Amino acid sequence: MTEKFMNRRWSTRNRIRAIPLAAAAIAAPTILRHSTLAQQVEIRLTGWTSSDAEQKLFEQILDEFRAANPDIKLTYEPIPSDYATKLQTDIAAGSVADVFYVDSLAAPDFMVNGALLELDSFMQKDSVNAADFYPGLIQSFQMDGKTYGLPKDWSSLAMVYDKKALTDAGVANPPTNWDELKAAGQALKAKAGEPRIVIPPDIAREFAFHYAAGAEVISKDGSSIVIDSPEAATALDFYYGMYKDGIATTPADTGAGWPGDALAKDFGDLVFEGNWVFPFLKENAPDLDFGISEMPDGPSGKATLAFTVSFSAYAETKQPDAAWTVINYLTGAEGMGKWTSLGLAMPARTGLSDAWLKQFPEREPFLKSGEYARGWQLGPGGQAFYNDANGDLQGLFAGTLDVPTTLKNWQKEAESRIKLGGGGATPEASPVS
Amino acid sequence: MAVAATPVRRRNPIVVEDERAGWVFLAPAMSIFLVFIFGSILFAFYLSFHNYALLQKGGIWPVFTDPGKTWVGFDNYRAIFKSGDFWQAFRNTTWYALGVVPAQTITGLVLAVLANRAIRGRTFFRTAFYFPSISSSVVISIIFLWMYSARGFVNYALKAFGFPTPRPVWLANPKGVVDVLLGQVGIHNVPTWLEGPSVAMLSIMMLNVWTTTGTIMVIFLAGLQGLPGDVYEAAAMDGANRFRQFKDITVPLLKPIIGFVITIGLIGTFQVFDQIYVMSEGGPQKTTTTIAYMVYVEGFRQGRGLGYASAIAIILLVVIMTLYLIQRRFTTERDTDRKVPGGIRAWLTLHLTRGGQGQTAR
Repeated sequence: MTEKFMNRRWSTRNRIRAIPLAAAAIAAPTILRHSTLAQQVEIRLTGWTSSDAEQKLFEQILDEFRAANPDIKLTYEPIPSDYATKLQTDIAAGSVADVFYVDSLAAPDFMVNGALLELDSFMQKDSVNAADFYPGLIQSFQMDGKTYGLPKDWSSLAMVYDKKALTDAGVANPPTNWDELKAAGQALKAKAGEPRIVIPPDIAREFAFHYAAGAEVISKDGSSIVIDSPEAATALDFYYGMYKDGIATTPADTGAGWPGDALAKDFGDLVFEGNWVFPFLKENAPDLDFGISEMPDGPSGKATLAFTVSFSAYAETKQPDAAWTVINYLTGAEGMGKWTSLGLAMPARTGLSDAWLKQFPEREPFLKSGEYARGWQLGPGGQAFYNDANGDLQGLFAGTLDVPTTLKNWQKEAESRIKLGGGGATPEASPVS
Repeated sequence: MAVAATPVRRRNPIVVEDERAGWVFLAPAMSIFLVFIFGSILFAFYLSFHNYALLQKGGIWPVFTDPGKTWVGFDNYRAIFKSGDFWQAFRNTTWYALGVVPAQTITGLVLAVLANRAIRGRTFFRTAFYFPSISSSVVISIIFLWMYSARGFVNYALKAFGFPTPRPVWLANPKGVVDVLLGQVGIHNVPTWLEGPSVAMLSIMMLNVWTTTGTIMVIFLAGLQGLPGDVYEAAAMDGANRFRQFKDITVPLLKPIIGFVITIGLIGTFQVFDQIYVMSEGGPQKTTTTIAYMVYVEGFRQGRGLGYASAIAIILLVVIMTLYLIQRRFTTERDTDRKVPGGIRAWLTLHLTRGGQGQTAR
């Protein structure tokens, strides 16, 4: 029967009649979809991916959001690698997601270029108080008095070590200052016959020592670069000195990817890392009895780095209200509480720290360091400076540069890349003050 | 006298139709080429005279009327020639090309001659030698990342034979190779441009030679098939041994193919990016930053903007073009009168075929 239908000659009149039918048939699914979802607003969320456990928990939190907000269709499209580059090119093309993560180091570049949505009016409408967050953290995402993102969590750097290795080497208590750290390193080396402190040639770790020696990057009044200073030389001499004297080694030398990896594989006994190392250790070295303690005091006192990430919205998003709802939920007390219960990072809201501490009492050194931690941010151009400066640090560790030349290079690169007076966190910002 | 009327010249209609058919068949590939390759080059040339950051208020679309672009004339070029970073990248890329192109050409030629002989397992050897060329360069880079690590296979093998291993480990070592070797003999303070590629760069070069030798071998094999066998017989009767046959018959007859291989080698090595991106991200102390990688960093990684990056890309274009023209003088046969210069053929092959998409020599 169908064949007869198909073989029949189609007269012009029938052909004309068929056109609207065909058009309706093709368009029907799209029209139906749009009519039933006419009330739904589409929001795209993106971020970087991490461990499977983290992703599962994040999806759970998103499902709860979807259940509580049926009028928002939330799609989560994480970027598997090279997040910063992909995000930038998406913004350039105008096709970026509505809500995304912004790292504190990259934040000034985004804020200065007007890529992020101002959240103050939304915060006022929903009575979200900036004072509920740690000052240093939220200041990383503020410029000229306006807020461009809410911090979702944070972590500082602390000393993580193998308790048994330290006691076996005769070190009764974890080192509390640089001299004790050196002594502990020597004891560990004497026992094991090889260096057991693992430090990467990376300023995202060396700067904890830099600030602890009293050195800065930008002058207090924000008008000049002061990275080449005697205090900076002290810090760099100490940091590189550990490697030169053979009491510390780099991850590359041990064959590990990063210090946490070295600790898990027993290539090292003492590293300086953040909260992210614990889920990794749980999965890769569950039997390791590790201890946590604050960073050792430097000549100028205590200092460490605070790494934080915000949820921000694209400045030209078509659904600013819905984007704000998503951000508010994920950085609200409930959403943030659930996210930080996995132990990957600490809550950025001051009110949630007690509950977090109850869950992870051994990580108190991290929370305590909030009192003096320095935000990991270097103003607009900070990321480009970071790449350049790491190159010099690698040269120092390889022996092709010496400390004075490295600092001179850092000064030149900072002056060339960092745009002063641009905004972002002030040089003095700290999480709890 | 009456003016002789010149006969109306009519072209052979068959030839005309053939030519027209040729253009029609060529049109799809040609239009893709014109828009995406030639058009991109022109646009990069245009952008190189502007100051243009990737991260802009409101995105960069539509690009031609974007107010975020500012005309700066030759400022980008001036800044590039004054920049130490660029000259380092240029040195790195030159060492890379100087190392990889002769190595892969000679190895490919030797392997082709060997694989051309009627030995048992010839097909297996040809496949085995060619296999790395068709594997993904990213996958190979990741595997070699492991092999070059401190506890990886290379160090293990060296230690097993009693050789020392470099410190810092291969891919983290920014010391120049020539510098290290001369240092062993007691000569220090070598000038920068003579330091040679860094140990990290050398590792990546060795990886690349291993990867691309297969393709070169296949190209030479094809060339060898076309060589006349009677010349070899005559030479053998005159008492020439295998080596002399190779030196005096094979190599001269293969000259145009050697020229082709060197051309694609140069073009490919000057544009190397994949391995740098995966293995060393510009390297210990920027010693594995090549010009193409620098274009990426300056354009897309909060560098000095797309205008600056485009200027670097145009400079790279000029450099490769110059090298190609120079080497063409030495390797094309000047006695034959070619209608289509060998160069255009090589260029089109490079851009219109998959094997030529710069992947041969990378």
